[in-house]
Amino acid sequence: MSAVSFTGVTKSYKDGPKAVDDLTLNIADGEFMVLVGPSGCGKSTALRMIAGLEEISGGTLQIGDTVVNDIPPGDRDIAMVFQNYALYPHMTVRENIGFALTVARVSKDEIKRRTDEAAELLGLTEYVDRLPKALSGGQRQRVAMGRAIVRSPQVFLMDEPLSNLDAKLRVQMRSEIIELQARLGTTMVYVTHDQVEAMTMGHRVAVMRKGLLQQVAPPQELYLRPANLFVAAFIGSPAMNLLPARIDSVNGRITATFAEHTITIDQAAIDKYSKVPDYVGRDVVIGIRPEHFAMAEDTSDPAQTIEIKSVVSESMGSEVHVHATVDVPPVALDGQPVNEDADANASTTKIIARVEGFHIVRMGQIVRLAIKTAHVHFFDATTGAPLRDDDERTA
Amino acid sequence: MAGFTRLAPGQHRLGIEPGLRLVSLWHVIGALAALISVGLANRDGNDELPVAIGLFVKVFSLGAFVANIAAVIGVHRVIRRARSVSLAVNYLVFVVAAAATLHQLGFFTAIGSFGEGFNKAFVPFLFIVVGLVWVLIAGQLLSVRPTAAGPQGLRKAGWGLVAVASVWFVIKTEPSGAISTGLDRLFRPLTLAVLAVTICSAAACKFMWARRIARHFGTTAGEEAALSGLAFLSPNLIGFTFFFAGPLLFSLVVSFFDWKTTGTGRDFVGLDNYVRALSLDFSSADNGNAGTEVLKSGYQVLMHLDWFGQHWVVGARDVEFWTAMRNIFIFLILAVPAAVLPALGLSSILASKLRGMRVFRAIYFVPSVAGVIGVAIIWGQLFQSTVGWINYLIKRFAEIMPFLEPPAEGHPWLSSDSTALLAMVVVFAWMSFGFNTVLYLAGHQSIPKELYEAAEIDGASTWQIFRRITVPQLRNTTFYVLVTTSILALQLFDIVWILSTPEPGGPDNATTTPVLALYEEAFQSNSQGYASALAWILFLVIFGFTFFQFRQQRDEATSGGVS
Amino acid sequence: MSVRRKGPRATMVRILTYGILVAVALVVIFPFVVAVSTSVKRNTDIFTYPPSLIPKKATTVPASDVGLTGENLPVYTLPGFDGSFALVDDDTPLAEFTALDDPTRVVVLAADQGDKTGDTTNIDGEEEDIFAIVVDGETILAYRSRLTVGGLFQSLDNAALQVPSLVNSAVAKQEFGPRFENFSEVVTEKKIGRSLTNTLLVTIIVVLGQILTSILGGYAFARIDFTGRSALFMLYLGSVMIPFVVLIIPLFQLMLQLNWRDNLVALIVPFTFTAYGTFLMRQFFVGVPKEIEEAALLDGASRWRILWQVMVPLARPAIATLATFGFLYAWNSFFWPLVIINSGNPDSFVLSLSLSTLGGRSSTDTNLVFAGAVIAMTPPIAVFLFAQRYFVENSASSGLK
Repeated sequence: MSAVSFTGVTKSYKDGPKAVDDLTLNIADGEFMVLVGPSGCGKSTALRMIAGLEEISGGTLQIGDTVVNDIPPGDRDIAMVFQNYALYPHMTVRENIGFALTVARVSKDEIKRRTDEAAELLGLTEYVDRLPKALSGGQRQRVAMGRAIVRSPQVFLMDEPLSNLDAKLRVQMRSEIIELQARLGTTMVYVTHDQVEAMTMGHRVAVMRKGLLQQVAPPQELYLRPANLFVAAFIGSPAMNLLPARIDSVNGRITATFAEHTITIDQAAIDKYSKVPDYVGRDVVIGIRPEHFAMAEDTSDPAQTIEIKSVVSESMGSEVHVHATVDVPPVALDGQPVNEDADANASTTKIIARVEGFHIVRMGQIVRLAIKTAHVHFFDATTGAPLRDDDERTA
Repeated sequence: MAGFTRLAPGQHRLGIEPGLRLVSLWHVIGALAALISVGLANRDGNDELPVAIGLFVKVFSLGAFVANIAAVIGVHRVIRRARSVSLAVNYLVFVVAAAATLHQLGFFTAIGSFGEGFNKAFVPFLFIVVGLVWVLIAGQLLSVRPTAAGPQGLRKAGWGLVAVASVWFVIKTEPSGAISTGLDRLFRPLTLAVLAVTICSAAACKFMWARRIARHFGTTAGEEAALSGLAFLSPNLIGFTFFFAGPLLFSLVVSFFDWKTTGTGRDFVGLDNYVRALSLDFSSADNGNAGTEVLKSGYQVLMHLDWFGQHWVVGARDVEFWTAMRNIFIFLILAVPAAVLPALGLSSILASKLRGMRVFRAIYFVPSVAGVIGVAIIWGQLFQSTVGWINYLIKRFAEIMPFLEPPAEGHPWLSSDSTALLAMVVVFAWMSFGFNTVLYLAGHQSIPKELYEAAEIDGASTWQIFRRITVPQLRNTTFYVLVTTSILALQLFDIVWILSTPEPGGPDNATTTPVLALYEEAFQSNSQGYASALAWILFLVIFGFTFFQFRQQRDEATSGGVS
Repeated sequence: MSVRRKGPRATMVRILTYGILVAVALVVIFPFVVAVSTSVKRNTDIFTYPPSLIPKKATTVPASDVGLTGENLPVYTLPGFDGSFALVDDDTPLAEFTALDDPTRVVVLAADQGDKTGDTTNIDGEEEDIFAIVVDGETILAYRSRLTVGGLFQSLDNAALQVPSLVNSAVAKQEFGPRFENFSEVVTEKKIGRSLTNTLLVTIIVVLGQILTSILGGYAFARIDFTGRSALFMLYLGSVMIPFVVLIIPLFQLMLQLNWRDNLVALIVPFTFTAYGTFLMRQFFVGVPKEIEEAALLDGASRWRILWQVMVPLARPAIATLATFGFLYAWNSFFWPLVIINSGNPDSFVLSLSLSTLGGRSSTDTNLVFAGAVIAMTPPIAVFLFAQRYFVENSASSGLK
């Protein structure tokens, strides 16, 4: 088992933008690292560079103590699970799992022992003599994993391994993979576009966008202290509500105004986002997670309450998602709305509030929502940087 | 990376440095040999070597010299590209030397002589085939149930049969004679020399190919890909160069010479061959009986024409060629529609997926795979004037039909110059329409079903659907089918060779075709230069047809879909 | 399509459709039926009018049927008699009697029949004895107009009935009788056997060579990204444009230089490289998911191993297609063998060449020629029928005939 470290790694094509731009990332020995980001963010390219399937244009990539830039894939002692599993269709499950060992000229008895072991571990024992076409999706997925673990490689690479499975199976396999990695203790690099997978599986999560690394942190840290607007918008479901707002100071209290609404910000938030007072009189982006709304009660502070018309409400049982619109244009980053399903040219922004399940909200009803302003996030409107001093964008 | 080292520890290996020194030495030897070879090829009075081969030897040797020197310097200085150069040189030398060795050993001609041994050992051969089929069937069974004991036993038994039959086969072919001849030839100095070169260059290749050498030279992944790409392609590429590209160029060269197979009179004549083939002379004449006397000297009467009340005599220097061209265009105009239109109609019926369509499709295809010689022989009998089926059926048909007078005696289809070419058209169309039907069927598959459904809802009739949807949607397929059929038709030879009477192209040149004319010029009149010119003229004609097809095919190929 | 409609009109259309299809199928099949029938006919049987599809032979009966010993006896029908007759003796003296009162009445009897009446008559200035002969129970007077030799026919139905008759006035009975010796004769006497094994040898090596080079080249074109790949590929595609006639003369010259003329090797080596096959394999390999190959790379397999252990097993359908095309092309090729195997030494002949020589303009043994043609045509048709699936599916995309 070994660590993997990227140092200034770049992947560029002849004509076109860099797929991976100056990536520096250290993955510790035995760590479960998830690379996440929207499609085209470079996460798969980064993974394939570890595998040796993509040439490295610049920088160095180390596995253990070895610089592997020029070492062909077969010599890197890594194993990979592909999105479509890439099983050899003409080989049985046993032959599929044992192929790497056959190539390495391991003795037949040893191959049998190790494939049996792997099959046992994955619950494939009764299927070892079947061909892949006779297996279900989940079983194929397991075979692909078996093919990886039988070699006891230094690093496991997984490229969206669960995206071809149905939702229920995906949840099940998710925990199986976590368990497996914990048991084997092998370094794992896992690529996904699904932030739920990223949050639930990784020891640490690396968020990427357009070839650039945005933030590397444990899942909770990502959620609580997003390193920038993009991470804030990307992590969390439903996503953080991001709204352009103007910061003012009224009687020594910081207020934020968006459209016709003005809220007073709790001092706890200002303590975290210490640069906010510098932005008085300027436009920023504020972020409020859906769970930081609540139905206003009589005791609620009117200065932290907004009245808004519900557009749609979705009852989830334990909670209700109240959708509403605010008359401000959606927050954009590099000309694109940060929320993937927002319309760039719209003049209103949709917000979602997550309130307790016993509330009944009708369509078109005016609701009063209390905002837990202690948890509001602040970002620079142009750079997207958080208005904090302690920028922890370190890998 | 423990457990994944390929080489077992302790295996004896040549060190990198001494190995490279040996390779350098080998390149020095190569450079010297190349120099000597240039000198030999340049020696005066070396007439028995044909021009092209002499030139080839010179260019090859000179190239080898330069490359060898480059390789020595590069290897010595550990320049990155030197490994590629050295590998390329050694590989090419290996190929040439191996071919020369096999040639010296008489291997190639022995393949031909092996025909006799194969004939003697035909029975054991059949047993081998039975064994292989056996194994194949077992393999099919195993692909369904990979661990079934029965098929596994079956497969083993099959291999056993193959093994036993192979031994029997070898014994029956009586290889001892060939082996002793081979051994005899092996101990000639020249054979031993080329064999030594083969072995040395192979060893150098193997050494330089190794991964550790690649690392030593810092070979990039791109270079590695280029090397392995060319290595994989090389068997193909060598054949392509030697048996296609080279001959093609040579053919062009020959077409500018008055070139005989034997003899020394190989004079450069420039475009004369082409001029001779294409020359025509139009001369007006007062009466219909005018002949050669109104034409320029060297011209013979090709045909008579009556245009605008004026009588014309058309003359050509090569009347046979022009007659052949005329024949082939008449043939083209008749045969292509005859081979394509039925295919269009039948494919429309077959595409309806009624019961039994696969059977009909298979039946229609059979004539195109049966082999043209056999087919022509059958049709020769059918066209027979006295006892042939065609005349018999025509007579019976006429007897049944009230208004037709049964012919008194059978028409001599093949020996009458008005119908001989028509008979060829029938045979050609009969042979090709099935293939075209299948091509059309593929075209049908790409027509969206919704179009037919929409048309039916609109109440279109069968004919309207065919006319307004099927035919326009099949435009690309039609184009392709027309072009390929035309190319085939323009190269008409085999059918004529078998069917025409009393001599090929007969009667009275009524069925002469360009390929036949070319064959006769090249292999009967021995004027290969002129025949080459005819080949290139024919090529240009065909090129006109092929060019469009090529473009279409390229578009399909580069789109990269699986067929 | 509209033929799927229901109702009486649709039924009519369907019947018409099948009618057309069957008619065309008959046109296709009929010549082959003629070929097979001719291949088992006797040569005399071929040149009779009207032509027939049924091979015939003379009907015979064992000699024991008529109480004799020896060889089988041919069977005839006789004009004026019912039933069949065996020719028991073809050297019986016969006499032809002409009735005195009716010179057109001629009766043939055994020479020893008829009683001399002792009278004579003058016919054309010759004295002829007058005989009393019994015809159909009636006694008539006749003179012996001719003495000849003919056959004695024994009725097969009535042991007592023996009829002497001229053989050429009897009609030989024929029955279905294929002559399979045609095949063994053409194989041994006409050396088709050697041509057959030669063709097979050439075809097998050419197909194996084509498969090998096409797999290697197709893989390189599909999966190895080397410089100059696309240019080379265009060159390959372009080469399909060149008609073979352009290559005939230079290839002939090359074969002369290599001393391969009149040798089977000239039919083999130049044809083990095929741009078309390379193209076909490339198309297949391009379609194999790249991940499968990458997985194998990560498993430590070399390109060589990936090709043979991963790609080739997957490519079986494409290889089968290539093999079928290669087989048909090599088996049926004629022009090149005609050019290069031209010394008339039948040891290097292939089937197409033997057939064209055998069935040429001066051919006499038509039945043997057809037996040879059937031998030559059966393997490609059989291969086609077996490999139909691959063949029909791929000929459309192949772009090559």
